[in-house]
Amino acid sequence: MKNSLKNIYDFISDHLYFYRPDLEISGEKYNSTLLFSLLTAILQGKQLIVGEPGLGKTTSAEYICSVFYQIPLGTIWLSEIAGHPEQTEEKIVGRPNLGLLNKGIESVVWSNFVQLPVKIVDEINRLPETKQSIILDGVDRGNWEYLNEMFINDEYCLFATANYQDLGTFTIIAPMLDRFDVMVESKHPGANISYLIGPFYKKDELLRHERYEKELNKLLNSRLPYKTKMERTEKVCEKFGKYLKKKGLKPVSKEERKAIQDQMEKLELDLDANAYLRTLISELSFCYKYGQKRANEKCEEGCHFTGYLCHSIKNCISNRFPISIRVYAQALAWLLGEKQVNIEHIKTVAPYALSHRLQWKEEFVATHEKEVRVDPLPIYLAKVAVDRVLERYGEQRESIKEALAIGYSVSQGEEIALLEGDHPIYWEIKRDLGEL
Amino acid sequence: MKNLFSEFKNFRPKRREIPLDNIITSKEKVMQTLIKSYNKLVEQEAKELVWLVSYHSVIRAYASAEKSIKNMEYGVEDIEEFLFEIEDSSKLPYPIMGLSGIYTAALCNHAKEREIVFDLRNRNITLHLLGYRLPEGKKLLVYGDLGDFTGIGLNGGEIWVEGNTGNWTGAGMKRGKMVIKKNVGRRTGEDMVGGEIYVEGKILGIGNIRYGRVYEKGEIVSL
Amino acid sequence: MKKIPKSTWLKIRKKHFFPPLPFPKIEKGQEKAALEIKNKQISIDEDFLSQISEKMPESDAIEALLDHATAHYTFCPWDFANYLRLYAEAKKVCNDKDMAKKSTDYFMDVVVDTYCVKEKQSTIPSLYKHMEKGKIDQVICALYQKIWGKDLNVSGSDELVKKLMRLPYINKKRWTEVIKRFTHILRPLLEEEMLKSASNPLGDHKSMFSKESIDKGLMELAQSAASPKAFSELVDDFKEELEETGYLGQGIGRGRGQETMANILYYIKLAQNYTLPLKKLPERKSGSIYPHSHSPWEIERPYYDIDIWTSFGKFLPGLTQVWNRKEGEILYLEEKVPNCLIIIDSSGSMIDPRKNLSYAVLGAACACEAYLKYGSEIAVYNFSDAEVGGRYLLPFTKDRMAIYQSLCKYFGGGTYLKSSDIKAFEGNDMDIFLITDMKISNFSEVVNYFNDIKNRVTAVHIGKSTHSKRFALSVSKKTNISLYHVEKKEDIPKIVLGKVKEYLHQMF
Repeated sequence: MKNSLKNIYDFISDHLYFYRPDLEISGEKYNSTLLFSLLTAILQGKQLIVGEPGLGKTTSAEYICSVFYQIPLGTIWLSEIAGHPEQTEEKIVGRPNLGLLNKGIESVVWSNFVQLPVKIVDEINRLPETKQSIILDGVDRGNWEYLNEMFINDEYCLFATANYQDLGTFTIIAPMLDRFDVMVESKHPGANISYLIGPFYKKDELLRHERYEKELNKLLNSRLPYKTKMERTEKVCEKFGKYLKKKGLKPVSKEERKAIQDQMEKLELDLDANAYLRTLISELSFCYKYGQKRANEKCEEGCHFTGYLCHSIKNCISNRFPISIRVYAQALAWLLGEKQVNIEHIKTVAPYALSHRLQWKEEFVATHEKEVRVDPLPIYLAKVAVDRVLERYGEQRESIKEALAIGYSVSQGEEIALLEGDHPIYWEIKRDLGEL
Repeated sequence: MKNLFSEFKNFRPKRREIPLDNIITSKEKVMQTLIKSYNKLVEQEAKELVWLVSYHSVIRAYASAEKSIKNMEYGVEDIEEFLFEIEDSSKLPYPIMGLSGIYTAALCNHAKEREIVFDLRNRNITLHLLGYRLPEGKKLLVYGDLGDFTGIGLNGGEIWVEGNTGNWTGAGMKRGKMVIKKNVGRRTGEDMVGGEIYVEGKILGIGNIRYGRVYEKGEIVSL
Repeated sequence: MKKIPKSTWLKIRKKHFFPPLPFPKIEKGQEKAALEIKNKQISIDEDFLSQISEKMPESDAIEALLDHATAHYTFCPWDFANYLRLYAEAKKVCNDKDMAKKSTDYFMDVVVDTYCVKEKQSTIPSLYKHMEKGKIDQVICALYQKIWGKDLNVSGSDELVKKLMRLPYINKKRWTEVIKRFTHILRPLLEEEMLKSASNPLGDHKSMFSKESIDKGLMELAQSAASPKAFSELVDDFKEELEETGYLGQGIGRGRGQETMANILYYIKLAQNYTLPLKKLPERKSGSIYPHSHSPWEIERPYYDIDIWTSFGKFLPGLTQVWNRKEGEILYLEEKVPNCLIIIDSSGSMIDPRKNLSYAVLGAACACEAYLKYGSEIAVYNFSDAEVGGRYLLPFTKDRMAIYQSLCKYFGGGTYLKSSDIKAFEGNDMDIFLITDMKISNFSEVVNYFNDIKNRVTAVHIGKSTHSKRFALSVSKKTNISLYHVEKKEDIPKIVLGKVKEYLHQMF
């Protein structure tokens, strides 16, 4: 099954999405957009893809979803939501059945966007904030509501794209941003690769199939009960999958997807990865004076913890962050054939899971914004932060792990003195044990 | 509720030690003792952090210093390190050079080593009273400059200074030898009752010499 | 050409917590040095490797060299700023820049080797056992024997080793203190080595740092340097290395100008540590409104905004949609940042920026960086006794070097601000940034001038005086003038450029 996923990655990179690798893990080079898109598809995650117009943000998501979920590209196009200010709830979620409405009967016609497991919102930052709120709940739990009817997805992943701020765009609201697991940038592939894209302009044909697209469209528009509809949809998708096999792909069925997810979930973090993650979270949430970080509270001048990340950020990291980082790191470790999640996996995933969740202070931004980099500033700052915490962790890893081990003993009732240290993690352990 | 730290249940820290760790630990212990006893000396002898040099105060301070370092185990390297600590204001915020010199003199006099070498060149430190009562059989070699009262009360030992010394050099010395490669200040050899002082540079002023000899650039200048 | 086995590099990476270093190479021609680290790229000398492989397994040798090189990035010195700090301490002891550099190099090597042996179970001891060694290397190996507890086949140097072995090499917090002692102890040998121009068999650390790392290092150094002079001295010592990396490129000449350049660099780097918020001039709206987005219709809302198409022709709460209208924006007139005229006082009562940190120059430099960031131009009026020619005018420009040169000029004379000089700049849409201690001899004239102008003025006064209180009182009703007080470095980030007081508007 690992080979299937690697096969999907290779197929897309060879035929569909052309890029330069910008990530190295375990000696292998990958493209962050494609890799994280693949992981998001497996994990049923939520991914925000940013980038300049025309650099393959939407197409990369479309290709991954088409291949991974075995849905023809044409069907995916029909289910996409375009972000523009005139977007309405009726176009996003569903509309009343007009025929029945005129007879006085309320019945909802759900949109393809809601019904399909693949959800792509193009240029989400062009949606007004009110419309972003509409899809907030659906995006978060797979629950969609319209006219008091509810639709629940049992399997879904979300890809949203956003251009950089221009006059036509809004801000993505903070609760919405926090719900994204990762943010990646779809970069320009460079002059030579870009030149190669020209002759491949009809590459979309590889993932299209007119007959299956018509069948799926008919099914999605039908009045069948949801369960039956999804079973028949899955059958059509399997037929499309067989078609893709002839092209050299090894698509993954629904059962296999479930099996992969189970295997990934079972991977444990090794002690270093575990301790490092706790160390990172502590620096992003700790405040000695006010109990925790808060966006409306300023750091005290001359605070003892000036050297830690808590001094460089304004807000507190949410609890969605450890969930995102853990599942993506597990997925990455599984994909690389590792038996445990180690620090390298955490370190690779962390910046992408953090960049859209942090509000940096101006001094920190000013110090780093002029440095040479290949990533957009938010991702670069997150990488700097992750590296700094790793450096600090490396210096004290035995002590930190020992502090956590002592924490275990103390919480079991043993009377041992807790380890003292400068780092916020030591303080957090004390707080957890009621010593502060 | 699940134990928050259960994954670390079986963790035992692996502390790989190399000989450097033990060397540092034992050295730190000695330094702590030296600094503690020096601070005690300052507390006893310096009123409001001021210590004035006089015949009696020097004798008293030296006696206190001797008492405090009695039974201490240390080597020349520890004394050198102590001199570095004096320079670093974070460790010793109120170094009083006179008392530091007396204390160092006591340490040198009671050190196991017969020959003691200090390199004070390019250092932010001017030691006074170094070589006080240096006994016979001990040799003190200093690279760099020293302050006032160098080698006072010399008691048979040898002091070589590859630099300048200040005023009152060799005052009250009983016996022994002092060699200063550069210049010395005023009142050189004041009240000395024996021994020899060789100055290869200039002597700014000779003190009241009772017995003993002072040489300037090879020529005797004491009467 | 040999290649480093991938598994070896993966093992090293894992040991050192995955540093962001490219795959190392084996190359020829390193001039007897086993190792070269250039801009993060690690290269091992092929000839050295062949020689050492005759005495120990090649894989162990590669591992040892990679451990050593990687630890230079992950542990010591980690970055250029740390390297400079260590060098500065070493130089205090030996007063000679080349000797200080050599001492720093040796110190860093001892630190990383000891760190690798203790924390990373490295094969470095074996490398040193079989490597050819010069005189200092013999002493260092003898030291290693003592502090690592390994036999490296060397003897002698007991006196020196006795002193060297007491230093806490792995304690990062004490490096600045330890390197002084290290240099002190090794100085006689270093002096000897300088005469022979011997080289470090593991290569020197000159080209280790990239231009970006140097840039960052200089920024940190400017923050922590005791004075501009101390900074300049260090920069001068590394002039060759900085020029080699292309860092000190054009505009930095030789001869008399050199010292001034280092001073300018000090203020540039220091200013980069601060960001001053800058209020932009608000954009203009078109005044007309147009339908923009939908929201649900409620009974009380007017019906004429209903969108019948999206409401499916129905008037039903929960179904019917209304248009929300929004004011248009004139696209070609965005929020903009005007140019800025910096008026800086360099009279005798102000600090000489060449000798000590001048808050006036720093504040002006921070303002300059804030405006330049948005592509605005800066003009400078540096005044002392302007009436007798103690003034310097720089017309509007984006040339950073020229701006800083103007800011750093110090006249040190009387204090007379000629308002007719500033009038020469009028007619430009500009902000004014004034920084002075307010001890101006024609103070009333200056106050009257500022009371009349309409430009946004950010006035910063250094230190306390009755003049500053008078100035504050006289401009208190002017909404376009904001006044700030700076007594220490930490007050500078509190300045908000172009802030316009709004309380008068709020009254109406």
